[in-house]
Order: sequence, then C-alpha cells, then structure tokens
Amino acid sequence: MLCLCSILTHIPAYAQVKNIKGVIHDDKGNALPGATVKVKNLNVAVVTDADGKFTINVPAEGKVLVFSFIGLETSEEPIGQKTHFDIILKTAARNLGDVVVIGYGSQNRQDVNGSVSSVKAKDIENLAQSSIDQMLQGKAAGVMVTQNSGQPGSLTSVRIRGVTSLTMSNEPLYVIDGVQISGDGRNASSSGRSVVSGPQSLSGGGQTALSPLAALNPNDILSIDILKDASATAIFGSRASNGVVIITTKKGKNGTGRLNYDGYYGIQQPSKYLDVMNLRQYATLENELATAYGVEPRQEFADISLLGKGTDWQREIFQDAAMQNHSLSFSGGKDGVNYYLSGGFMDQDGIVIGSYFKRYSVRANVDGQVNRWLKVGTNITASRTKENITVNDLKEGIVSLALQQAPDIAVYNMDGTFAGPEAGKDDGEGNENPVAKALSVKNWVTRNKILGNIYADFTFSKDVSFRSELSGDFNFAGNTIFKPTYKWGRFENKSATLYEGRNNSIFWSVRNYLTYHHVFDKHSITAMVGHEAMESSWEGISAMRQGFYTNDIYAIDAGSVDGASNGGYKGSGSQQSFYGRVLYDFNNRYGLTATMRADGSSKYDQIAKNQWGYFPAFAASWKLYNEPFMQQINKVVNNIRLKAGWGVVGNQDIAGFLYGSSLAAEPTGMGTGFRTARFPNPDLKWESATQTNIGIDFSVLNERLFATVEWYSKISKDFLYQLPLPTYLTGAPDYNGGVAPPYVNLGKMHNQGIDVTLTYKTMPGKDFNWSSTLTFSQYKNNVQELYLKDFDITKTLTSGFLSFPLTRTIEGQSMGLFYGYKADGIFKDAASIHDQPRQFGADFGEANGETWLGDVKYVDVNGDGEVNELDRTFIGSPHPKFTFGFNNTFSYKNIDLNIFLQGSYGNKILNLTKVSAGGLQRLYTNQFADVADFYRADNTDTDIPRARRGDDNPNLFLSDRFMEDGSYLRIQTVNLGYNFNPALLRRLHLTRLKAFASVQNLYTFTKYSGYDPEVGAYNGDALQLGIDNGRYPTPRVITFGLNAEF
Amino acid sequence: MKLYYNSLKIAGLSAILLLTNCSKDFLNKPPEDQIVTANFYKTEEQVVASTNILYGLPWFNFNTKAFWAITELSGGNGRSWSGDVVNFSDLTVTGDNQLLYSAWESLYSVVAQSNMLLVNLPKYVDPSISQTVVNNALGEAHFMRGMAYFFLVRLFGAVPIIENNFEHVYDPLLPRHRVEDVYQFIINDFTFAEANCYSKLRTSTYANNAHVSSGSASAMLAKIYLYLKDYPKAREKSELVINSGEFKLYGLEVPGTDFDGLFRTKNNNNEESIVALQWTVDLVKYGVQNAVQASFALNSTITGTGDGWAVLGPTIDLQRAFEPGDIRRKSTIMLPGDFYPEINQAAGGFTVPEDANAQGTRAAIKKYVVGTPADNGGIGAMQKTANNTYLMRMAEVYLVHAESILADQESTSDPAALASFNKIRRRAGLGDKPSITQDDILQERRVEFAIEGDYWFDLGRINRAKAINIMNNQERGTYSNDNPPEIYSAHINMTEDKFLFPIPTSEVAKNPKFMEAPVPYEF
Repeated sequence: MLCLCSILTHIPAYAQVKNIKGVIHDDKGNALPGATVKVKNLNVAVVTDADGKFTINVPAEGKVLVFSFIGLETSEEPIGQKTHFDIILKTAARNLGDVVVIGYGSQNRQDVNGSVSSVKAKDIENLAQSSIDQMLQGKAAGVMVTQNSGQPGSLTSVRIRGVTSLTMSNEPLYVIDGVQISGDGRNASSSGRSVVSGPQSLSGGGQTALSPLAALNPNDILSIDILKDASATAIFGSRASNGVVIITTKKGKNGTGRLNYDGYYGIQQPSKYLDVMNLRQYATLENELATAYGVEPRQEFADISLLGKGTDWQREIFQDAAMQNHSLSFSGGKDGVNYYLSGGFMDQDGIVIGSYFKRYSVRANVDGQVNRWLKVGTNITASRTKENITVNDLKEGIVSLALQQAPDIAVYNMDGTFAGPEAGKDDGEGNENPVAKALSVKNWVTRNKILGNIYADFTFSKDVSFRSELSGDFNFAGNTIFKPTYKWGRFENKSATLYEGRNNSIFWSVRNYLTYHHVFDKHSITAMVGHEAMESSWEGISAMRQGFYTNDIYAIDAGSVDGASNGGYKGSGSQQSFYGRVLYDFNNRYGLTATMRADGSSKYDQIAKNQWGYFPAFAASWKLYNEPFMQQINKVVNNIRLKAGWGVVGNQDIAGFLYGSSLAAEPTGMGTGFRTARFPNPDLKWESATQTNIGIDFSVLNERLFATVEWYSKISKDFLYQLPLPTYLTGAPDYNGGVAPPYVNLGKMHNQGIDVTLTYKTMPGKDFNWSSTLTFSQYKNNVQELYLKDFDITKTLTSGFLSFPLTRTIEGQSMGLFYGYKADGIFKDAASIHDQPRQFGADFGEANGETWLGDVKYVDVNGDGEVNELDRTFIGSPHPKFTFGFNNTFSYKNIDLNIFLQGSYGNKILNLTKVSAGGLQRLYTNQFADVADFYRADNTDTDIPRARRGDDNPNLFLSDRFMEDGSYLRIQTVNLGYNFNPALLRRLHLTRLKAFASVQNLYTFTKYSGYDPEVGAYNGDALQLGIDNGRYPTPRVITFGLNAEF
Repeated sequence: MKLYYNSLKIAGLSAILLLTNCSKDFLNKPPEDQIVTANFYKTEEQVVASTNILYGLPWFNFNTKAFWAITELSGGNGRSWSGDVVNFSDLTVTGDNQLLYSAWESLYSVVAQSNMLLVNLPKYVDPSISQTVVNNALGEAHFMRGMAYFFLVRLFGAVPIIENNFEHVYDPLLPRHRVEDVYQFIINDFTFAEANCYSKLRTSTYANNAHVSSGSASAMLAKIYLYLKDYPKAREKSELVINSGEFKLYGLEVPGTDFDGLFRTKNNNNEESIVALQWTVDLVKYGVQNAVQASFALNSTITGTGDGWAVLGPTIDLQRAFEPGDIRRKSTIMLPGDFYPEINQAAGGFTVPEDANAQGTRAAIKKYVVGTPADNGGIGAMQKTANNTYLMRMAEVYLVHAESILADQESTSDPAALASFNKIRRRAGLGDKPSITQDDILQERRVEFAIEGDYWFDLGRINRAKAINIMNNQERGTYSNDNPPEIYSAHINMTEDKFLFPIPTSEVAKNPKFMEAPVPYEF
C-alpha cells in the first residue's frame, strides 16, 4: 500500500491532459481497490481507491490504457474518445503465475520441479459433499478418490498414484495450514481404533472408519495442493509415502471488509433399487425351495393367488433425505492486519433411514505485520460433528438385510410396534427387521476438534527469514451406543444396554525453519533448513451398563450397577526431524531442487538403532520455451517445460512399540489374565518408497490447449507389514486371544503410471467462454518380491458363516487380486456327469452332500482330475486400467454451466450380495428376482445353480460367478449458475450474487448389477478393494444454493 | 540493526527450546496401557496370575459355537437347520466352514499363549521367586497346550506340533506331524504338568479350585491312555486320581448337592471339576464370557437378554437314549411341562411351554443354560454368562476307570469296574448293573456327558464299523406339528473319511505342505 501511494505522488505533470474516470471490478463483480491503471508507453499511472474507482490524467500522446491487478489478467483498452471506462479484469486464465504451496514454503507454478496438482476453491465450490476429500474426485490427475460408503461423514479413500503400501493405510498425509493429519480413519498409527469404539456386539461392526477430514468446512478452503512425486513430498519425509495433500485456508485481503454467504439446500435420493422378489415371487420360491430341501411347504403359501405384493424392504429403508449447508464469512485487512472469520453449519440426513451427519464449525485466520521484521498469525478452526452410524457393509447390515428380509414380514405390527419373524415359525433362519434395526439402535458419534497453528515470521534481512510455528490438533470424541429393549417378532431384547466411549487425542508440533533467498545475476537460490518435533497422545475410557428401565434416557447412571463394566486405553508416539531444501534457478531456464530430511520416530527400537530414517530427493526442470533456439517452435507449441525428479520417502503408519513384547490385561473368571500381545521384532525399520517422475508441460493452439503429461515409477519396499502367518502359529486375532503376528519389513512393489491433464480454454470472449479439463490416470501395480519364496498374502473374508480366501497377493502380480474358483456353468447332463472330476471330495449322486445336476461345475485348473482347494486361481483384478475426470465449464453472459464426468475402467467388483441374496441356501430369506430361474428337474435351461441348503455349500464358493465388471462413467455433477448483474447488485449493496442449481451423481453408465460401482476399499484396506457386501449406496443429490458477497 | 538483533535473540531462544526437545527420551515411547513383558514375572502374584489367560479368552471361539456344532451335531446328540451349522448336522462339511476355522484358530491360540509363557517366564522371572511357583505355572502351560492338542488331534488328525512359536515366525511352512507323535507330545505335556503342578485337595472354597493341579493332569493322562488303548496305564492313572480323593462326585460324595448343581454358575470350580474354562462377564469386552446359552436356550424368557435362539435341539435319538428315571435327562434336555425353579426366578421359575420345539425336536437344551442375569447374581448379558465350561470332571475318571478294566473284553463284572461305573448310575438315580459291556460304557458316557462335547470323539475312537453303524441308525429327524406327532425321519450316510474334519482351506492355501503326508516329529 505504501509503495502504491508513493507512485501516486510521483505522477509528473503534463500539458494537454485528458481526464479519464472509471471503475474496475473483478469477474465476480467485486470492486478492485489498489488496481493499477497505466498509460501505455508513458510513465503515468494511478491506483484505484477503495471502491475500485480511479481518475487519471492522460497526456495527449497516450493512446492505450493498461489495467492490471495481481492474479488477474491484464487488460489493454484503446482510449479513443472515451472518458469513462468500466473494466472487468478476469481471473488469470493461465496457471503459470500461480503460487503453489510445497511445504515449508511456496513456489511459482512454473518453477515447481516436482509433480504437484492444485485444486482451487473455485473447482470445489458448491459441491454437495460433506468433506473435502470427496471433492477431490476426478479433479487432479493421479489422484484416485473413491467413496467407500454413502454414509454421510464416512471415510473416503484417496490414492495418490496407485497403492503404495501393503499396510492398512494408503491415505495421504494432509497438511492443513501446517498441521499434519493422517488420512487414516482407523488411526492405525496411533490408538489403532476408530472413533466408533463400542463393542461390535452393540455397534454391529461393518465399516466403522470415519473421515478425519469431515470436521473441516470446505467453504474455508482456498486451495489444495497435492504433492504426488517423491521429489515434492520428500520434505515431509517419513509420513509422505502415500503423497501429501496441502490444504490452505482462506485469508483476508487488504481493502474493505467482505461478508460472504454460501449455502445450499439439497435433496438426496437413492439412485437405484435392486430387483428382489415381491411376496408372490417369494412364496413361489419358498415352495420350490421346500421341495428342493425336502421339507414341508408352508401352509400360508399354499395358494399364491391370495397373496399381495408384500413388504418392499428397500423402499422401507431408503428415503429421500435433505441436506443443507450454510457458511458465513467475514474477511478483510487493514493496516497490516488481515482477518478471515467464518462460521459453518451442515446438516445431512442419510438416504438409509436413521443415518445423519451434522457439522458446526468456526474458523479464525488472522495475521498481522507487527513491525518491519516480525509478522505473526494464527489459523484456528473449531468444529463439532455429530452423526448416527448405521450398520452396513456386512451381511447383517441394513442394506443387506433389506435385500434378504422376507416380503411376508410386515414392517409394523397392527399396534404400531416393529414386526419380525414369529418364534417357532422360521426355524431360526429368519432375519431381523432392518427398519427396526436402523431406527432403534442408536450409534452416535460426536467429534469435537480444535485444529490450528500460531506462527511468527522473522525477517532478518531482505534475504533471510525465520519461521517458528506451533501447531496443534485436539480431538475429543464420544461414542454413544444405545440398544433399547425391543421385541421384533422372535427377536427380543429385554434389557437395554448403553455404551459410552470417550476418546481423546492430542497432537502438537513445533517447527522452526530458516529460509535464505537471493537473486544475483541470472541465479536465483532459495535455501531452507529446519527442525521439527511432534508428539501425539491418545486415551480413551468406556463404560457400559444394562438394565435400563426406560429407552428414553441415555445416561449411564440410569442403568443397573450389576455387571457394570468399563475399560480404557492410552498411549503416545513422537517424532523429530531435521530437514533442508535448496531451490536453484539459472537464467529462468534451469531449475534444481534438492531436499533432505531425517526423521527419528518412537515407532522403532532405540536400542536396535533403527529410529532414524533419511529421505533425500532431487528434481530438475528445463524451461525450453525460454531458450533462444525455441523461438520458432514457440509459435506452434508454447511453454514447453521438461522436468524430472527422484526421491525417497518413508512410511511409519503403524502402532507404537511393535518392536517390543508386551502383555495385555484381559479379564478371566479367575482374575486378570495377561495375554502376550504380539511377536516382537526389534529389527523393524522404515518403509520406503523411491519414486522417479518425468514430466512435460506444454501448450498448443495459441495457448488454448494446455497439457501436462507425467510418467512415474515408484518402487516401495520394506513394507511395514504384519506378517500374515498361518493361524497355527498365531491363533485367533489378538482380541480373541491369539498372539498378533510380528510387523516386519517385507517385499518390494512397483507402481508405474501416467497422469495426463489436458485443459482447453476458448480465448476470453465477450459473452461466451468455455473451458474443459480432462484428467486421466493410469497405473500398473506389480509385486516384485514378497517375504519368502512361495510366500503369499491371503486376505480371508468372514461373511456370515463362511470364511474363505478372498484376495491373494503373490510375486509377479498386482496386489490384492481376487482369488477363487473358475466356474464353467452348471452340470446338466446326467450321462456324462460321472466322467467329470470329482468336486471337493464329494461323490456324484442325489444324496445330501453329493454333487448332482444343477450344481456349479468348477474348472479343474491344475488338471489333476480333482476339483479342490488347489484349483483356486486368480479370477479378477480390482485395479482399474484407468480412471478419468472430465470437467467442462461454460459461461454465457451471466450464466455458467459446469458438467463433470468421472469414471473408472477395467476393474472388477466382487458382488457378495449375490451370495447372501442370491444363493438359495436358506428359507425365510428373500432373494434377487432373477434367481427364480434356478435349476430344477422341470427347469433345466438355465445357468443358475440348483438350491442347496446351508451356507457351507460348494455352489456358493467364491468363484468368478460373483465377479462383475466395475467400469463406469458417471455424470457426477451438473451445476447451473446465474450471476446477477453488478449494476443491479450495487443497488442492493451486494458485490456479488450467484444462484445455482446442481445435480450430483446424476446418472451412472455401468454394467454392474449392484447399487453402485464405486465400491472403494473396505475400511480403507488396500487388499480389500472392490468388495460389495451391501455397501451404503451413494445418493443422487439435487441442490439449490446461493453465493452472496456484501 | 537493533531490530535484527532482537529478532536474532528470539530465534536463538526458539533454537534452545528446540534443542531441549532433542533429548533422547523424547523418542522413547513404551506402551502405556500394556506391561512390557520383560518387566513382568517379578512377584509371586504375577507368576501365579500369568497362567490365568490360558483358561479364558483364547478358548472363546472354540467354546462359543464350534465345540458344540462340531461335536454334538456331528455326533447325533443335537440337530439344527440353522444355515451356519447345518452342515455338521448332515456331515457335509467343507474346509471353508467358518466353525472349523474358529476351532482351529482358537485351539492354536491356546497353544501360542502357552508357548509364549513357556518361553518368557523362565527368561524374565525374577530369581528370587521360588522354583516351585515357577514350575507350577509352567506345568499349567504344558497342561493347557496338551489340552488344545488333544482336541486338535481328535478333530483334524495329523497337525503341526509347535513348541516355540518364535522359532517358526520366519520359516512358517510347517508340515503336519503324525497322529502318534501328536499323542506322544500330548502325553509329554501332561506328564510334565503332573510332575510340576501343585498337588491339591478340592474343597468347598471353590475359588481355590480354579487352577489345574497335578491330579488334573493325572486324570487327563488316564483319558488319553484310554484313547491309545493303553489300558493298564489308563487304569493306573485313573486309580491314582480316585485314590487321591482330590475330586469328589457331586451329588454323591458332596453332601447337599446333586447332579443338576454341576451346571450352576455359583458352583463353578466345585469339587467334581477337574479342569474347566473360566469365564467372566465384561459388558465392554467380547470374548471373555461363555456365550453358549445364547444358542442353546429355547427363548429369551430364559435368558432375559434378547438371545435364546434355540439353534441346537436335542435329537430324537438323544431323547430316546435316556432311561426312564434318569435324573440327568431334565438337567440335559427340556421337555414340555418341565419346571425349572432356578430359571427366571423373578417370575417364580420357568415352565417349559407345550409348544417348545427347538429345531423340530419338541424339546430344547438345558445343560449350560443358566437363566437370566438376576438368576446368576446379577451377572450376565446378551451372549454373556459366567458359568464354566467343563473340559473334564470326576465322573469321567470313574468311567475311564471302568473302561480301562473292561479293556478289550466283551464284558466285565470286575468289582472295581462295577464300583466306578455304578457310582455314575447311582447318582443319576438308576439301578446298578451287574456287569458292563462296551455298549454300556458308550451309552453311559453319552448320557452323562451329552452337550459337553464328548460323544463324537467317543464314536471316533471305538470300532469304526460299529461307529458307522450306530451313526447311520441314529434318528436325526424331526417331529411334525400333528398331535400326536409323526416323525419326519432323517438319517445320515456316515463314511470312514468323515471322522476327521478337513483343515481349514485358508490354512491350506497358506501352506501347501498340508497337502503332503504327515511326517514324524523330532522330539
């Protein structure tokens, strides 16, 4: 401001001047104070006042006025006879001038040598999503975002350049205004438990991981920078192997204060219903199953024609649900102090009845220039979220139950209470009423979070500055589960139970770093060294009582003291680091980045000297377009820039003290028992990923088409992996009394891929503008080494009452491939059946347990004349061949339209709902309508196997019968906005007003037969990708909203 | 310049702050809610408590469903339609079966925890602690490991023997070991326990009876020698136990008690109990309790906690196995009209309704059904009771004794055999037998230990052809809803290869050596 004023005072006087007035706005209609108005080729300039107005005296020789403002496109206008100019400066179309946050500093985009994608506030505004991780979907190349569940507030998996680690978490590190937050909703590296902490017998299990980012209000976000390759992430060292997402929140700007309101209201709808049997179809099936099983048919189904349609359970558990989001912010700056204050409120009901998510948040970002050498500031947000979790993603979950529950069961009894199968009427095979289950069992999670930092920037000289920063992340979460007394048919609970869990975690870090920046001649150098110490600690207690006399009071004291129980846990971890970085540029042509970080972590054994890990990285770039010999080429292909980088980053996302041996206390009938918790491994050390990145940026068609193409190769090794020992060495999972296998450093994996971003923009026109961005990401994953020869990692799934290998990872293949039998139709020919290989040791015949006509004919893969366990093979890959996002923005005068498509190609989904709701293994369980055509003596022209009773039946073995193509193309967002005229707004004392309507998840083109092909990773586990076990489907959302600025 | 000087001072202060953080301890974070193993075993109380775990949690998955589904359904004492267990009812079990896996992982949990103690205790124990105390704890660990292997060998046959899990962590593909070697291993374990555990006398202070003793090991050895048809040793060990007077027959040798009392929570660790799993109820933790009542009880009036699913019903065959007047029937099976004053005491007791019909049997299971939390001192919750599970009780020692004298003979009227055998009949309210045959023993064992998970193993150790014949003739069907009911008859087709179960597929998938023939174990 000071220097701008000084320019004003230096305007020389000229004769024959022409007085010109005007006003400058940005493209959102905001008046621009401090914009520069200059007469071209003359030393005459003024700046605009607080209202964006200016007056300039132009000498006679002045022909053209130049209007400019930092971050906006400069505009030139011939003066001619005009004396008044109403100028709108557009946001800079090219990203070349953008500032990219790279961690412990920032850089201009064209100088960044590593691979960094940026998402701006504008790219994610007005999206009806509760948390920012979901909003990244399709927005950046190389970033694969899948929503693991449609439950509001649930965990989203974000994979930056493929799957890096075999350990539980492949989520990136989030750095929010300098505060590091793990994206792992399971907290594997700290307390090892989700906030949904109640016993599974009460909470029901399923997916319990919640999004750690749900606490942030997306409206507060200014920009998101995604560091993808190791040369970019290495500065975050040990926590960076899955990539780093740097989130910067909004700051106040100098000038008049602004008041912003952003809000929307929306309706969410289930986007699909599956075709299950109605009562008549079901009754017919039950009669046929009775014949097949050899039991008495049910009397009430003797005459099908008397039956109606019965209960449509899907329509009972799904609902149209409202969501709304309101955010109000105040920002501005004066006399060296900038402020941004905001408050947000979000309320989202789930499309599965009973589920909801609410968020209240406030933020204060303030910084002030204390004096010439000191600047201090703080960014703090406090938020509270409350949600009700419904049970899903397992056979007993609400969605699965809605598919399986029999249509002859009513939702309610005549007296309004919940109904259910009657005692003695269902042979113990019936299911719980999913409506009752969803609405009666409360599973509330409240999370209170305070996250923020305070910092001081010292400027020692023009070149040297020092930053000291203290960050904290304080979380106080509670989980209340209440299971009331109920009677749903034969399912009766006479004693209500209340669980109260309180989980606290505290993270703090102290960071100090010194930066030196100097430009001499053609050299520009920026060097930084620093130190950082961080510690996190966590603790929790829980209490549980039963014997409540009422279902209305959720207070622990209201329960009976008999048998009251409690529990607790606590722990802590720490890390300290030294790091340094040199950025060097020569002649604006050659750039070089060198980074080194050393991290010491409490996760590793001090005595074994494995605590410290060292993470170097280098990157270089060459701005070809600045070379003299490129002048001719620049006319066709502009802005060619090459870059290459190499670096090593680490991972330490494991629990503490895995290197040592400890005893866990467990109650027994004879007093406290001491269980050996795990096999220790003092040699445990850092997991590392080495990545090479080569990229090119260029533009063609007169800077209308921009392209960034990057190739990477990432080798991760020494995975921190819990050795999947055979059960005979470990016993059951540790919570069931076994000894947890040791964590080891294991294997080597290669990910190789290409990220492409293409952006096309029309030249800024008067009325019509169009821009499209296509992001394309492709990776190939190959496991090069595992622990031992013949070693494999087999993930076993326990679904209902079966337990079988589900995915298998071996050397030379991608990780987590589906593993099972190959089916070759069903047996149909009695004459030849005896010539077939025996299956699973059973004879061919009609007796119980024997293989007969209508049974699945499995392929004898190894050709040994028998079908058995050895014939399991790889039956599909959950990894997509590529994923893409296609974003299109059109604007015509005041109207803008955004259409965003997104999808995935070539991945397989294991549809386990086909086992539970299509297996024909039980009576009293509804099934998909198409299985009515199952094989029986009078219906042989079919591929659907015969009905066999019992879950443990070879027709239901995991085979390619349950594999489906998971490719899809989704119309993710269509957003239509109208910007009201600035002239009109000024009368209303508004600077900006936009109204919009949008549809999210409008339509999905897919062959997948389940609800939603976007299945994600079960609880974020990289080895359990693409498994649909009754997933909470993602809704379609229709929203209407406003953005207003005063 | 002064400004810069000031700022340098501040920076210097921050640097000092930073360096204080660099202390070595900052990166040392031992667990805060677990005990570092090396710091344990420092007092006698700690050593004594170190074996507690071997009686609880690791057994949970075996106890909850696997043991009764595998043994009682397969053996023909129980029946079920329930999709999760039906494949044991009709013996169409595959290696994918979840309950087989539960049994496998649970039993190997016991092996693993025992081995951990056997390795860690000598390594870390404070030298001031007396060797007797240490040896007793080691004896208990050997005992429980032997117990687990005894189940494993009877369920799966040849299985890998593991003495020190640490040694195999980085070379995990073990072969199966021959059945005879597994038995030898079991005998070694119990022999160690016999030599090192305390000798005890079971008293009415039940809490003191919980840990196993030297006598418990002798009793188990008697049973194992019987399985190996080493009758003289079986007789020797059973007589050792009988003559020691350590254990007493409830209802016969303990005044004021009866057979039914064996299965009350308050009588956990009574004088007859030789070895039992020790459950407790913790509302927060799952896995430290007895969960079988949830599956056995006819309805939730009995349990008061919403469970009581009657997943298991007593077969018509088992119902017929009880002689008239056998008091054990009412303690094992509920029939319509039976009255149980100890169940649902708040409502004045429980009368079995006329339409009681667990799994089409017109009856329900009583043994191990203990009633509401209020019936059990306020302790209990859904799927949670605190009553012990017997792994062996004194009645069995008497029957082992009788059988060891009978040995391979057709029948015997040896007075010692008759004395032991008739003690069991007398307690059941039945008349003495003048002589006993193999069939008598099998029958007596069946009704005495029904629902305690033993009959299937008895069928597995007797003459194969005879066992197949017995099983093929068992009535496993159901009653119709008519009055009087008709029987929908059901029989199984038992074959030689079904006496052992397949090792879980997920284990075979991890270890192809399991597809190979068992190898000898190097002791």
